[in-house]
Amino acid sequence: MTRSTSHASLDREAVKAAIRSRIIELAKALNIDARGLGDADIIPATGLLDSTAILELVVWYEQTYDFPLKQEEINIDNLGSIDAMVDFLLSRKRA
Amino acid sequence: MPSPLHVPRVNNNDDSVRIVDLGVKEGDFVTRGQIIGAVETDKAVLDVPAERDGYVLKILHRMGETASVGSVLLWLGEIATERVPDQAPPVATGDATGATHRPTAKAQAMLRELGLDADVIPASGERLTVIDIEAWLATQRMPARPPGSLAPVASEPTPGVSGEYVELSGEERGMLSTVLWHRDQAVPAYLDVEYDPKPWNDYALRYGEQNKLLLSPLLALLAFRLVELAKVTPRINATVIDDRRYQYQPVNLGFTIQAGATLYLAVVQDAQNMSAARFIAALGEVQRHAMAHKLRPAESSGATLAFSSMARWTVSRHVPVLPPYTSLIVSHAAPRTSGSAVMGASYDHRLLSGFDVVQVLQALARPPA
Repeated sequence: MTRSTSHASLDREAVKAAIRSRIIELAKALNIDARGLGDADIIPATGLLDSTAILELVVWYEQTYDFPLKQEEINIDNLGSIDAMVDFLLSRKRA
Repeated sequence: MPSPLHVPRVNNNDDSVRIVDLGVKEGDFVTRGQIIGAVETDKAVLDVPAERDGYVLKILHRMGETASVGSVLLWLGEIATERVPDQAPPVATGDATGATHRPTAKAQAMLRELGLDADVIPASGERLTVIDIEAWLATQRMPARPPGSLAPVASEPTPGVSGEYVELSGEERGMLSTVLWHRDQAVPAYLDVEYDPKPWNDYALRYGEQNKLLLSPLLALLAFRLVELAKVTPRINATVIDDRRYQYQPVNLGFTIQAGATLYLAVVQDAQNMSAARFIAALGEVQRHAMAHKLRPAESSGATLAFSSMARWTVSRHVPVLPPYTSLIVSHAAPRTSGSAVMGASYDHRLLSGFDVVQVLQALARPPA
């Protein structure tokens, strides 16, 4: 289930909480507890999500925030951690 | 005068059939064209019509029995008390289906499209035509289907248990057409080789770090290596059409993607012209489209070679179904507890030998130097 979120409702803490919640949900499907994930932790390096789950996270992120990504934007710098994902989204939406 | 009704031929490859229905008994009166029973092989079921009006004088086969094609199924006579000859008349050819009639080019294309076997469809003239196929489909109560879908080879008998029909979804129809092609067109075989996955894992890890990739590029790099191997072993990027090898020019790499409950075969077109980086990006793009259930037509058709991994589900070996008109699909699996893993492939034995496939798999099991 996805939904779009308007620019006006983009609150940093709310976005962070939503991303965290989605990561925990995706990890749970793999029988992994991701509640201890730190905001700055590099998600692929933690091993909490496999590549397919990270891909699901990226697709959810695009759809939820109405934020289509270019393939070259999908990298560690932009989307590697919860903090990076929030920063990248807000910087683009507010630009 | 009594006349025999012979056991019909269902297709060229089967000289015996199973009697699956006999709706008459000795003494019954039947009319010409009345379906008096049915026979089947592994491929199809064929109704048996009476060839004339008359009384059933004697039945020589029972339900469930296997009967030789051309043997006498039953005798019909004008009056119920006629005597049946002691000796059977010359055996009929039993070619009730016109199986020897070569299809026209258009009919051949339609057969391929629908996944049908020419042997089971009777021809009205010297050649099997599109009109013959459409007429046969009508008798099978199967509508002609649009290109890209396949019809079952024959209508299935309804099980003797209450139930209801549910239309297949588009994805289910796609799966059906794939497995029917695998079953009816290809001559599928499978083999695998054992290998040490560590060198590939290390290679992918280094590549991912150097290029700051978010996703592990392991599967994409393996698939790209398969594309590279197809360039030097073009036989794996081909199919069989009209008893000839049809060698594809592009390498369109099909890659299985499980998106929720849906399994897609997403396709990277013209992969032979790509660098590793471009291929990884192109595959990432179609993966995202598949995950969002928004694959474009060119991203979901035209695969000439394929790759499938079930490592995510810790499956240590799987035998994939060949996508239509491909000769090879590689199956990647999770390492076993011993640390080794198997690299396997389903292949079309009409084109590839086990030796061909072993060589490809052994090369694929090693990352580029």
